[in-house]
Amino acid sequence: MTDKVLIVDDEQDFLNIISDRLTARDMNVTTAASAKDALEQIDKESYDAVVLDLMMPEMDGLETLKIMKEKNPDLQVILLTGHATVEKGIEAMKLGAMDLLEKPADLSTIVERIKHAKAEKIILVEKKSEERIRDILTRKGW
Amino acid sequence: MTHPLDPIGEAGLRFYSKVSASISHEIRNSLAVINESAGYLEDVTRMAKKGGNVDMNRLETLAGSMLKQVQRANTIVKNMNRLAHSLDDPAARTDLNTLLELMLHLSERTTVTRGVKVSAAFSEPPVIITTHPFFVENLIWLILDFAMDISGDEKTIELQPVKTASGAKINFAGLDQLTQNAFENFQTEPVTLMLCALKSTLQPDEKKGMITLNLPENISQPAQ
Repeated sequence: MTDKVLIVDDEQDFLNIISDRLTARDMNVTTAASAKDALEQIDKESYDAVVLDLMMPEMDGLETLKIMKEKNPDLQVILLTGHATVEKGIEAMKLGAMDLLEKPADLSTIVERIKHAKAEKIILVEKKSEERIRDILTRKGW
Repeated sequence: MTHPLDPIGEAGLRFYSKVSASISHEIRNSLAVINESAGYLEDVTRMAKKGGNVDMNRLETLAGSMLKQVQRANTIVKNMNRLAHSLDDPAARTDLNTLLELMLHLSERTTVTRGVKVSAAFSEPPVIITTHPFFVENLIWLILDFAMDISGDEKTIELQPVKTASGAKINFAGLDQLTQNAFENFQTEPVTLMLCALKSTLQPDEKKGMITLNLPENISQPAQ
């Protein structure tokens, strides 16, 4: 099964190239050039991972991350930034980011983190299914 | 024991570090595109070695994108260099058109992030005065920061340098929410000290939604 990933960055050239390279690695890639577009995308589709730029016009990455997590707490978000500070990193982790990578990052590292995000998502989904089954069994008294 | 900080020096360092952080972010963005482009070339080379087809149009686009990023990074570094050299001479002959153009570049990431469009209406001939370029740049940075908070729903600020009989002025227009109270709060110690060092004044006009920075013809000459 291919990994489904959303890349969010206001640098269009960056989006074009990284999208081509990840697609060549059997990933199903969607891109968004703004936080607004990204939030619309996650309303419509489910993603294994979101790679999100920290510094964007109008709405920055941390604010976007916060809204994404409110919409879907299980969403696996990797922040990719050219503007990393320790404070921002800590804030991002507190808001529920899975990881924070600095630009320019190796594609192999990005791919590895996306795979890890997908594995985390599967664990969360399985855990939720288990809880649901246990709840049904308890309530029905079988 | 704590040492009192020099307010004007601290404001200068804050300005310089903000610009440096913004510039490093811009350069990293350029490097990220160049990095991915180089990686794409590696991917294509690997495929070609295995007998795959190479899309020449894609390669041409990629080369164009890399050149664009190198030019962008070069412009960023040139601007950084111009800012660094603006501390060389405390009384330098300065064209305010050129200085404002530099400030628009340096503040672009900050203004765009805050959703404000800042533009300049440049005068045809150069607007030349003798001044301390770094203090003027720092003051413009602080005024812009203040102006962005009071730019109203339009979120558009227009700067205009104008030659005057006593020197020059820079108009900051589009400040729809400018009030006397907000203007007084803006006049912090560093701002007042910078105005004093530049022998300049700031003039608010609530009706027009505008602030004017008046600068003397020559900072080295005694104030008239």
